[in-house]
Amino acid sequence: MAPDPDAALMVAFQGGNEAAFRTLFERHGRATMAFCNRFVRDPARAEELAQDVFLKLHRSAGRYQPSARFTTFLYRIATNHCLNEVRRGEYQARPEIDPESEDGAPLDPDALPGRSATPEEAARGNALARDVAALLARLPESQRAAFVLARFEGLPYEEIADVLGTTVPSVKSLVHRATVSAARALEPWSSEGVTS
Amino acid sequence: MTRREGHVDDDLTALLDGALPGALQAEVEAHLASCPGCRAERDRIARALSALSSLPAPPAPAPGFEQRFYARLAREAPRNRSILDRLSARPLRWLVPSTGLAALLVAGIWIRRADERMDLEMARHLDLLENYVAVASLDAVETPEDVDVVSHLDELQEGRR
Repeated sequence: MAPDPDAALMVAFQGGNEAAFRTLFERHGRATMAFCNRFVRDPARAEELAQDVFLKLHRSAGRYQPSARFTTFLYRIATNHCLNEVRRGEYQARPEIDPESEDGAPLDPDALPGRSATPEEAARGNALARDVAALLARLPESQRAAFVLARFEGLPYEEIADVLGTTVPSVKSLVHRATVSAARALEPWSSEGVTS
Repeated sequence: MTRREGHVDDDLTALLDGALPGALQAEVEAHLASCPGCRAERDRIARALSALSSLPAPPAPAPGFEQRFYARLAREAPRNRSILDRLSARPLRWLVPSTGLAALLVAGIWIRRADERMDLEMARHLDLLENYVAVASLDAVETPEDVDVVSHLDELQEGRR
């Protein structure tokens, strides 16, 4: 496994280097918020959850073993925290959120392509985001977690298995079932000609 | 391998994700070459993955994202950190007192069933119990080390004076 610079920062933090912890937050805090937002569909709440995750990380740093990738450790804390949050149930009745107008939060300029989207493209993207959010809300929680980790975080099946504390065959099944559900739900958005 | 007898449905997502072992990948691709139904299902999944890739970027945090976290960190974390730092630096120092705390808690249960004389004994250690209750109410007591810390909160406070 290639050296993990984030693991080195965690080790430095374990030794008392608070600046190393801040560097980890600067590297991963925004991505953690985006991850949490996949579960709660509320940017303000997602920020609080991301803060919770890093506070837990701060408290539990002593349990981190440098043999594990830092992101695996972080995703494990974040996934458990987000699943606990959605188990509270209040999100299931929440209306679908328009990611642009819901609280005025702008789209992340760092993640946009080189040119601005046209109004038509933006409207289409927002409608697609609503359908994906509705799909995620319907998925069983284990499928939802595996799907988010695979599709939006780009984790390989082996790392998802580490995060969820399960086996690779189980992850394969979870991701497949969720993706089949996505194929059904996103049929109207699927353009023809995507074949190989 | 298959959900439907003789087909490869369950492997199609992993195939598109590049997550199948080589031998199984070859087996699935050979099946696809001769099965229009499985090819159609593969293409349907591939179109969904393509649609997902066109999602807009997630909402950006409001300005001051890092500063808000650092402010919360300053409010909620330093106390835990500094105490744990001291613990990890001198672990043996806490061993004997933590045993004392455990004994006190056991004694506390026994005292509740005893007479007023024992209540007075409990009162002598009320500050210790208050420490425990106060910290427990913050959900900060999660490990045996945390219990050790509680038993010495007063010492830590004296050390700061």
